[in-house]
Amino acid sequence: MLKIDNLHASVEGKEILKGINLEVKAGEVHAIMGPNGSGKSTLASVLAGREEYEIEEGSVTYQGKDLLELAPEERAHAGVFLAFQYPVEIPGVSTTNFLKTAVNQTREARGLKSLDAVSFLKVMKEKMKLVDIDQALLSRALNEGFSGGEKKRNEIFQMAMLEPTLSILDETDSGLDIDALKIVADGVNKLKSPDNATIVVTHYQRLLDYIVPDYVHVLYQGRIVKSGDKSLAHELEDKGYDWIKEEVAAL
Amino acid sequence: MSEVLTTEDQLLANFEGWLNQRFEASSSLRAIKEAGAENFKKLGLPSRKSEAYKYTPITKVIEKNFDLDIAESPSDLTKSDCEAKFYQDADANHLVFINGVFVEDYSKIISASSELTIKVLDDQAINEHVELKSNLGQVNGSQVDPFAALNLAYFNQGVFIKAEKNTDNKNTYIYQFIDGSKQTVLFPRVFVYGAAGSRTTVYEKTFISGEENSLNISIVESMVEANAEVRFTKLQNYTNKAYAIEGVYAHQDKDSRFYTNTFSFKGAVVRNNVYINIDAENCEGHMNGLYQLSGKTHVDTNTSVDHLKPHSYSNELYKGILDENSRGVFNGKIYVRPDAQKTNAFQSNNNILLTDTATINTKPQLEIWADDVQCSHGCTTGQMDEEAIFYLRSRGIEKTNAKALLLNAFANEALNELQNDLVKEEIEGIILNKLK
Repeated sequence: MLKIDNLHASVEGKEILKGINLEVKAGEVHAIMGPNGSGKSTLASVLAGREEYEIEEGSVTYQGKDLLELAPEERAHAGVFLAFQYPVEIPGVSTTNFLKTAVNQTREARGLKSLDAVSFLKVMKEKMKLVDIDQALLSRALNEGFSGGEKKRNEIFQMAMLEPTLSILDETDSGLDIDALKIVADGVNKLKSPDNATIVVTHYQRLLDYIVPDYVHVLYQGRIVKSGDKSLAHELEDKGYDWIKEEVAAL
Repeated sequence: MSEVLTTEDQLLANFEGWLNQRFEASSSLRAIKEAGAENFKKLGLPSRKSEAYKYTPITKVIEKNFDLDIAESPSDLTKSDCEAKFYQDADANHLVFINGVFVEDYSKIISASSELTIKVLDDQAINEHVELKSNLGQVNGSQVDPFAALNLAYFNQGVFIKAEKNTDNKNTYIYQFIDGSKQTVLFPRVFVYGAAGSRTTVYEKTFISGEENSLNISIVESMVEANAEVRFTKLQNYTNKAYAIEGVYAHQDKDSRFYTNTFSFKGAVVRNNVYINIDAENCEGHMNGLYQLSGKTHVDTNTSVDHLKPHSYSNELYKGILDENSRGVFNGKIYVRPDAQKTNAFQSNNNILLTDTATINTKPQLEIWADDVQCSHGCTTGQMDEEAIFYLRSRGIEKTNAKALLLNAFANEALNELQNDLVKEEIEGIILNKLK
């Protein structure tokens, strides 16, 4: 589904990603871990199409297409979804209205009929249950004055509404208490299917108790320096990142 | 040796003759108008150094674009031409002005005069209504602006709207038709009097035809008696031949509410003076506005809220979206006088510049003499939030739609105090159209 090949990316002249290789197949969950500043969020942003990053080298192929050629909205239409580390507050636009526009533009791009108000509400009601989100929250301005947990839950709710093929969760666990974390993870798990894939970017192992990864990769200094299964995450939790840094330094 | 006439002299050159044609020597209005002309002479046009017109060199603009020949121009507009432009609101009053003159015959007035008096502002109205006679040209500092004084001298047949005590009135729409087939300078004048406990709502909209320059020097005065409410909304969607200097002056008595909304979309140079005097306790004064400009349109908003007595509240919100080479100016003053303890006064002006060539000059000004008050002011100017655009795009919303969605939400906040769905829909339509 996704093939990242020798990806180099920089921001304001500073190289952050220095040759990332990663392949994600349908049905898989990949966790990307690493210390602060290792490039995790940059990778997520580059995949979603954030414009301030310069691609220096390498390629990203998604469902046979050159992902890097697509505008952010085209990536969304093609089924890529980024759950933001810091969801943006948008005053004056209600979540409901925003999602209706987003869902219908995405449906149109996919050659589907737009949903009318009634069917949209019906879909919304179903998905609301999935992430246990309150109607009152959705009539408010998008993310404005939401608590950290509410913002993250809203991200997963949007994910449910847009039905992506490839979901990238950027530090979705940061700032969440354990109850909120469980709800978010539960939502992600319910949305999992043999046809879609998830990339979980996180600093902590905690989230991976609830969203169990098939593969764990450690990103350090812009490269994936170690890959393994979920036991690698536990090892990192026990030993921290220093031994990885030492291993890299010894090379 | 030929004498060099000042612009002030030129503007008043025909005044005596103009006056003699229209008013008897004994006319009460004549005396008021002569005083207006005298006041204009005394004040003079704003000089280059004028603080009040700092970013709008209005005198130069007038000298450059007008030949200053003040004469009422006839128009071919028919009654049905005008009626065709009315809002589809059957249960309302529709008032027609043509080139600054109120045309009663073309208007449709359905309110009973026992509730809402709507009549030509002329000698008869002055003689019948002492509250008009004693306040005309006097409301809240309209004496200190030269254009208000010039309007007082030259207005001919304005409209007097008076809500009687404890009446809740139908909407009144004022349509200003400007026939620009000839260069024209016009002086519409509106006086809105809200007697105690009454409620009055007025919407004003302007239609401009023809290719020549027009200069609209317009004045609205409003007296709001105890526990009364007056709402006045202006829609300024002019042409690039339209110049305007417009004043809204309100004076509030105790427990009263005054709301004014100004929506500016197009014009050559537009100056709005909006001044509210809160001269009693427990009043609410609201000023809202949006200027969404493109091309070379220049809109200058100059506002003041003067709190003279304790326990009142004022709230001012102006939003600006400036595209292409447009220019916005905002100057908002709040005065809280020594007696005005427990005042709550808020002001905010937020601007978004869409291009490098659009400009905004914004200056909030607070002068507070009382010590137990809550006041805040703030102005922001910036570009569109790229992070917000990216967020919407990442959810599948196309870039231009994402921008329109954000700007529309930004602009719509200025519509919060607009209660009329017909007017609201029209304004929302203009906003969206301009975002395309």
